[in-house]
Amino acid sequence: MTDKGADTTTMSELSDQELLVSRARLPQHVVHRSFVSETVVLNLRTGRYHGLNPTAGKMLSALETAATVGDAVPVLVDEYGLGREQIQADLLTLTRGLIERGLIVAADASGD
Amino acid sequence: MPAATEIQSSAGPGENRRAAFGLELSIDPRISIPGLGRSLSAGTAQPPSRVQLDSGELDRRWGALTMAPLRAREIRWGKTPLLSVDFAEPAGYLLWARDHGRVLISPDGLELLCEADPESEHWATIIAAQALPLAATIRGLEVFHASGVVLDGRALLIAGRPGAGKSSLAAALVRVGGQLLSDDAVALQLSDGPLVAHPGSVVLQLRAAEDRKLSVDARAALGHPASSSTDKHRYVSDRVPDPAPLGALFLLERSADGPAVEALTAVSPFELLASTFNLSVRTPARLLRQLDVVSAIAASRLVYRLRVRPGVDAEQLAAVILETTSFPHA
Repeated sequence: MTDKGADTTTMSELSDQELLVSRARLPQHVVHRSFVSETVVLNLRTGRYHGLNPTAGKMLSALETAATVGDAVPVLVDEYGLGREQIQADLLTLTRGLIERGLIVAADASGD
Repeated sequence: MPAATEIQSSAGPGENRRAAFGLELSIDPRISIPGLGRSLSAGTAQPPSRVQLDSGELDRRWGALTMAPLRAREIRWGKTPLLSVDFAEPAGYLLWARDHGRVLISPDGLELLCEADPESEHWATIIAAQALPLAATIRGLEVFHASGVVLDGRALLIAGRPGAGKSSLAAALVRVGGQLLSDDAVALQLSDGPLVAHPGSVVLQLRAAEDRKLSVDARAALGHPASSSTDKHRYVSDRVPDPAPLGALFLLERSADGPAVEALTAVSPFELLASTFNLSVRTPARLLRQLDVVSAIAASRLVYRLRVRPGVDAEQLAAVILETTSFPHA
């Protein structure tokens, strides 16, 4: 999937199930760097920095590499050894927060 | 100790070639900026930033703007404005400093047009203190609010809040054999290897109370005295060190106890970002570089917290630093 023609939508339009089958990706103007204490996400358009704790940073990395938001869940279950439901709920909360701040966009995973 | 660059230097007629903050500089001979190094790479590909005294051209460019400038930075003392930076395309960044004058820095950092405050004998200090760090930031370096000394071929930086004692500590490190890299602003450059620290202006500024504690020999080690005010004494180093790889960054912090040094394995990126010098340049390229430099510093594991209780002697602190970093004591 490329930026051009990507079927992106806003968080308010998506149910949990729709979000889980969407692909989360970073816009070109958003970058992040991992530090020991936290992950810094920078919006190059607004110049605003956002700090993520190490767990949220790992979730962002999982979202970036997974084909869909839902596909990131088992990766994180393996990483943290917690229940799937809890991981999924936390991941959806984080994903919505990142979308609200314009740091990721949810795109149609079948768009490409 | 690395080879150093003699301060006395010049170039062809009408041109004074220098280097500071990682920039090649061509300075109007009518402008005297103490403590800058000799040009290291005259004739190479890097074009110099030209520093000219030309208030007419400054007024012409700023007056030709068709859009209102954006206030990028402002410092006040109470209600009294002390310094401001405005930005507008295509003119660039207009730096104004009370009792000094104005400098218009082009958007590419290659041209600095100056207007001196006729009432101020030392107006040009604003060029080294503010304008050149801003130009360096525009041209791809990341400037930190830090004092720096080169010891054993490595750059040792001290960052901290104003009044934390950066200059006093730098002076103490100079007295034990270090070479002043810069008193208040150090330019760092990303490279394939370690981060490289560039000298700025090698003018050291000490509070009068601190200066009074020094012996004649200790003062002589700092260089030759320059203009002083009632509360500050200034010394210009006799030599400017070459750029050096980053050896350590100390985050100086006032504390109820100490002195104590702690190697920071998990330094806060936001603390490092807050130590960067110039917040006026907000282009995507600069923001990304700023984050990358901070990331490189954190990854280097060369960051230390230096906690100091009030009243601790700068010599004592310098000894703690030398011991921590295994720098040889001269």
